[in-house]
Amino acid sequence: MRPADTPPAKAVGGDPHPPVLWDPVVRLTHWTIAVAIVVNYALTEDGGTTHVWVGYLALAILVLRLVWGFVGPAEARFAAFPPAPRAALAHLADLAAGRPGRYRSHNPAGALMAYALWAMLAVVIATGILMTAGGPGDEALMRAAVERDDWSILTGATPWVGDAAAEVLEEVHEVAANLLLLLAALHIAGVAVESRAMRTNLVRAMLPWRR
Amino acid sequence: MAALKPPAAERRRPALLTGLVAAQALAAVFFAADAATDLLNAPWTPHTLIEAFVALALGAGVVIGAVELRAALERLRAQETALAAARGALSTVVAAQFRDWALTPAETDVAWLALKGLDVAEIAALRGSAQGTVRAQLARVYAKAGVSGRAQFAALFVEELLAQGVPEADGAHEASRRQA
Repeated sequence: MRPADTPPAKAVGGDPHPPVLWDPVVRLTHWTIAVAIVVNYALTEDGGTTHVWVGYLALAILVLRLVWGFVGPAEARFAAFPPAPRAALAHLADLAAGRPGRYRSHNPAGALMAYALWAMLAVVIATGILMTAGGPGDEALMRAAVERDDWSILTGATPWVGDAAAEVLEEVHEVAANLLLLLAALHIAGVAVESRAMRTNLVRAMLPWRR
Repeated sequence: MAALKPPAAERRRPALLTGLVAAQALAAVFFAADAATDLLNAPWTPHTLIEAFVALALGAGVVIGAVELRAALERLRAQETALAAARGALSTVVAAQFRDWALTPAETDVAWLALKGLDVAEIAALRGSAQGTVRAQLARVYAKAGVSGRAQFAALFVEELLAQGVPEADGAHEASRRQA
C-alpha cells in the first residue's frame, strides 16, 4: 500500500502533481530542440549549409510543439501553464521557503521559462531565415539572382535585406543565440533545484525512451 | 505472473504517430519555406499556386495528425485508468465477499494467496504452516464459498466482474469514441 501523502501514480483526481511521464510529442520536441541548439551553437559552421538545415529542423519542431500546445493532452496545452509572472514570483518565493506547490503541468516559473525559451528560439530562427534569404536550399535563388545580373547575393549581402539591415540581423541572431544558451542553463538549474525541493527527479518524466 | 496491460500495438501507436507527425512537420516547414520563396519571386503563376496549396495541405496534415495522436494517447490513458479502477474494484468485491462468507482471518489470508495463484506448498512456506493445514483451510474456504475447487473459486470473481459490466478496455474506448 502507498502511504497517503504520496500522490497517486496516475492523475485520478486528488492533489495535482506534474506528469509522471510527459507525452511523446513533448519529449521528442524537447530533446530535438535541445540537441539542435547545442549542435548549432558548438558544432556547425556559422551560416554553413548544415547550420541552416538544423535551423529549419528546429523551426519545424518548434511549430509542432506550438500546434501541440493547442491540440495536445491537457498537461501539454498552453491553457495548463499560462504565462503568469506574478504566480512565477510567488512560486519562487515558495521554493526559497522550501515548500514549493505542486502543479499538474509546468510550475509557473517553469512555464515562464518555457515561453522565454520558445520566444528566444523564434527570434534566433526568424533572424536566421532572413539572413539566408529563405529556403534551406537557396542555390536556385542564387542562380536566378545571378541571371538577373544581381551579384550582390554572392558578395554576402542578402537579396531580402540591405547591407545595414543584414548586419543588424546578424547581431540580433548572435545575441539571441547567446541569451538562448543562458536561458537553457537557467532552465537546467531550475529543474535541478525543483527536483531537490520536490524530492522527485523531474528529468525522469522527460526521458525519451520511457513508455 | 504477466501483468495485464493494453495490447502491445496500442502501446506502440503513440510513438509511431509521434514520429510520423514530426516527419510531417519537417516536410511541411521545408516545403512551405520553398513555396514562400517561390511565391515572393514569382507570385500567382500556376506552379506557385499549386505549391502554396500543397504547403497548406501539409500543414493541415500536421494538425490532423496531432489531433489523431492526442486521441490515441487518450485511449491508452483511458484503458490504463479503467484497468486501475477494475483492479481496485475487484479487491473491494473480493474483501466484501470474504467477510460475507465469514472467513476466519487465517482462512482470509489463505484465500487471498490462493486467488493470487500461489499453490499449497507456496502458501504453506509463506505462512510457515504445514501443507496439510493449508489444505484444510482451503477446503473450508471452498465449502463456505460453495465451490468445488480453486478454479471455480477464482472463476466466481471473474464472473462477478464480467457480469457487473466493469468496462472491458476495448469496449470502453469504443463507447467513448461514439460519444465524442
